[in-house]
Amino acid sequence: MRLRIVLAEAWRSLAANASTTIAATMTVLIGMFLLGLSIGLGSWVLSWSNHVKRELVVDVYFCTKLTCGNDATKSQEEKIANMLSSMGEVKEVQFISKAEALQMMEKKSPELTKGLPSNPLPDALKVLPNRAEDIEKIAAAVPSSGATGVEKVDYGKKTAKRILRVARVIEIVFLLAVIVLLAASTLLIANTIRLSIFARRREIEVMKLVGATNWFVRGPFMLEGLICGIAGAALAVVLLLLGKTIALPAILGQIDDSSDAQALAFLWNAAILIGFGLLLGAAGSGFTIRRFLKV
Amino acid sequence: MKTPEVPAVEQTPTNGLDGFSAAAAAMILFEDVTKIYEPDVAALNAVSFVIEKGEFVFIVGASGSGKSTLVRLLLKELEATQGRIFVGGRDLGRLKRGKVPMLRRNIGCVFQDFKLLSDRTAYENVAYALRVQGESRNAIRRKVPEVLSLVGLADKMTSYPDQLSGGEQQRVSIARAVVNHPPLLVCDEPTGNLDPDTSVGIMQLLYRINRSGTTILMVTHDREMVDKMRRRVIGLEEGRLARDERRGGYESE
Repeated sequence: MRLRIVLAEAWRSLAANASTTIAATMTVLIGMFLLGLSIGLGSWVLSWSNHVKRELVVDVYFCTKLTCGNDATKSQEEKIANMLSSMGEVKEVQFISKAEALQMMEKKSPELTKGLPSNPLPDALKVLPNRAEDIEKIAAAVPSSGATGVEKVDYGKKTAKRILRVARVIEIVFLLAVIVLLAASTLLIANTIRLSIFARRREIEVMKLVGATNWFVRGPFMLEGLICGIAGAALAVVLLLLGKTIALPAILGQIDDSSDAQALAFLWNAAILIGFGLLLGAAGSGFTIRRFLKV
Repeated sequence: MKTPEVPAVEQTPTNGLDGFSAAAAAMILFEDVTKIYEPDVAALNAVSFVIEKGEFVFIVGASGSGKSTLVRLLLKELEATQGRIFVGGRDLGRLKRGKVPMLRRNIGCVFQDFKLLSDRTAYENVAYALRVQGESRNAIRRKVPEVLSLVGLADKMTSYPDQLSGGEQQRVSIARAVVNHPPLLVCDEPTGNLDPDTSVGIMQLLYRINRSGTTILMVTHDREMVDKMRRRVIGLEEGRLARDERRGGYESE
């Protein structure tokens, strides 16, 4: 019975205040659409930058006759391999023999390896770091250990640094964008709700005077906020879905699709948006109305 | 305006009053009530009086004499700075906030500006008060036409406030105030916006409501009305109780 009254009152005022209802719904729609967009884009970019980071490795090249005058011995190689695998920052150490290296090179650029009298390539270690940020430390550990038989340690110094910097910037920008968008849409919604409540102060005053309990006054308003929140978020999900199925393939045609970067699953994104829409609508109106309840 | 020919509805002293003790002798009891607005404006200063059940009392005084403060204290919109206020045997100072709606359901309120909802018909405005209090739909369907014909608006139930005259709007607001048979009706200048003839009609209506057992406390500036009615008058002057006369006029004699 009481629920029916609250529902009826909420519906009545939604219909009677159509312009504020639409304004609030649109505000949620815009906020949630932007939020969804930045979650989608942001999670894709994050995943891409992780993917790039994963390609950062340290290469340790051992001595050959050509470079140092002597081939590195098996024990020298093992000593360094063991030292590296015992480091906390190292995830995996792969040994690549000169024969394997030549094979890879033949595959990549056959015309270069054609007619080579002997294999000029050195044995090498490929060291995968746990965190891409640690590659410099890992690279420095090899010469400072005093190990012999190493010709060169390479970790693509410049590229690595640039990639790391870009990834860091992307992470920060994404986080900031989400925070700013959330704050902006919360404020917008609170403002819209305040306007609609302000327009109905008289109604609240009358309700209080005839002995309505605070929850009875609050109920319809919160339900209204809830409805606006859901409607706005649902519309935003629909728009995003349209964008995903229509606009994205058109853009993606020009983007290298080979990477295994993945955006956050759309369903999750949609769930987050609906959840936030609900929360914003109900909490926004609930908090805003408190000020007006003290009659 | 002629008085509508409607029999005064028998107002059963409300049951299940939740706090309005039937045993309490007085409807309203003010005990040395002082209200000070920050920082140091004394709106009421050590005011004491008793209003018995069934009385019809005028509260008169110039602007700023503390009349409105008195009404707001009764409704627990404000808290007394000192002293105690009892309404229907209930100590308002010790009434929890959550119980305030219950208090207000036992006090009908009528205001100078009617406080009707403009987007609802007369019927809906009255029904609204009942719905807020959790009445069943059947009870609402029965009580609303009944009270609207009591105030003489049986034929205007579907009119919106702006289609009604000032006097008619005030009748709707009185209907809303008494639809649940509250033991106490507080009127804050109910005739303040109305012309003299219309005011007489409203006063006759209030008089009938009073005769059926409802205690009425009426704040007013209407000198003629007070002089004509010859009811109890409580006069306030600068927050103090200036006089309390059994059958007084607007000005002290």
